[in-house]
Amino acid sequence: MSSVTGMKMGEKENIKQLLQEAELYKGQGLLSEARLKYDEVSDLVRNNDKIKNKEKLLAGLAKKINLLEVDTQKVEKGPSSPELSSRAQDLIQKLFSFSKEESEEEAALEGALALAKFGQFERALAEFNKLFSNETHRVVAAKNILRCHIALDSEEMAADKYEEWAKGDVISAGQLEKLRAFLEQVFENKGLNRKLTKVSSAVETVVEKKQEEEFIDISSIGILLESGPGKGKVVEFDVNFQSGNLLSLIISKKDGKLIEGLEVENILEDLQFYSPIAIFNGTGVVAAKSEIKSGPKQGDYCLDIKITST
Amino acid sequence: MAIFNLKKREIECKVVYYGPGRGGKTTNLEYLFKTFRKQITGEMVSINTEGDRTLFFDFLPMGLGKIKGCEIKVQLYTVPGQVQYSSTRKLVLRGVDGIVFVADSLEVRREKNMLSLKDLQANLKEYGLNIFKVPLVLQYNKRDLGEQGIPVMPIEQLDHDLNRQLKVPSFPGSALKGDGVGVALKECMKLTLKSLQKELKWAQ
Repeated sequence: MSSVTGMKMGEKENIKQLLQEAELYKGQGLLSEARLKYDEVSDLVRNNDKIKNKEKLLAGLAKKINLLEVDTQKVEKGPSSPELSSRAQDLIQKLFSFSKEESEEEAALEGALALAKFGQFERALAEFNKLFSNETHRVVAAKNILRCHIALDSEEMAADKYEEWAKGDVISAGQLEKLRAFLEQVFENKGLNRKLTKVSSAVETVVEKKQEEEFIDISSIGILLESGPGKGKVVEFDVNFQSGNLLSLIISKKDGKLIEGLEVENILEDLQFYSPIAIFNGTGVVAAKSEIKSGPKQGDYCLDIKITST
Repeated sequence: MAIFNLKKREIECKVVYYGPGRGGKTTNLEYLFKTFRKQITGEMVSINTEGDRTLFFDFLPMGLGKIKGCEIKVQLYTVPGQVQYSSTRKLVLRGVDGIVFVADSLEVRREKNMLSLKDLQANLKEYGLNIFKVPLVLQYNKRDLGEQGIPVMPIEQLDHDLNRQLKVPSFPGSALKGDGVGVALKECMKLTLKSLQKELKWAQ
């Protein structure tokens, strides 16, 4: 920019300083800060009638500001998730799987999730498809396969994938229903009118009923208590009622303190099941817990435990 | 989260360079990569935009030799500093063992420094970490610009803004020239290993 003439020394130095700052900030990539300085200089020049070549100066400044605007647009509208090289993707997969030491499967899932979070949806899709064949992570993989298709703007492929699973038997009806609800919500949000096959819950009911019929009669259950006065001890409770793998216990009020540490959804490891023909171990989850408010058993507790494995 | 390999007597930890955009995080790593070649155990990877702004992260693995019979390896990461990449910063921060917060000494970036530190605190909290307990050092970068007549904040002001409550080690620096880069990392590693030593003893 040509030297500023017709100005007092102080004003001249001020403008030079501001321009130097603007150029430095621009070089640093601090575009809005550079813009502020150019605007300050423009104001100083505009408000000073003694400057020769004022219009030329202002035009020069306007040009610089315009170039800044172009750069700012580039930065703001830049790609949020460009497709990276397979080497970079390998690195993401490796660096962002934290369970390598404990479990390879868990690490594989974390790696695939990291790829998706970094916007590498094609590669993530390939990894989730591999994980789908593993029962442990099938449902999580299924959800993320759908998410990846949606992120890649291939909603039709997501729908086709869902329909493929709905025809098969690798995903339970309950899980399919969640996937269907999720997908249909996405379609609705995008203004797409696509309905998905609803898998009959009767199918699941039949399966559950079959499981009920096959379940052995359990007369009492031993629970290893992890808190309260019975901490560390296995305390045996009678089973009041059984429906398949769901056991209902009535705990007397005097024993209420023993179960005060148990909450709904607590997982119970090392359960002991006593049946007329055998004693066996397993795990369960607290399905329900409540105090009986009225009747002959008022003050007693009702505790439901669902057996999850034996 | 550090990996202890007791059989190989190796400790591998993660240090993240955090701070506002354009503050010099990547420049720190570039200086380390250029200067400490013998300690570099792999390639430096930078995932950035065309304008050289970090898009996802930079990564640099280093070996720091043996300390008390243990081979110390460190993975250095930077995060993208721009406001819109908040979720990426959180992702990169996962499993962090030590942090170098690179503050920008330019007067015009004062607010950005403080916002970035707040952002760090919030992200650490989401992982159950407390900024007051995580191994952390501050680097007040771009001190050299003051010599060129560009308004930079005095160290006292930076300390007041960023370190009043934290009271962690702070270092003036110029990542472009290399000033304060090595010492900041060294101190961060010292704090990190001290913290890991406590953890290891606790686990045993």
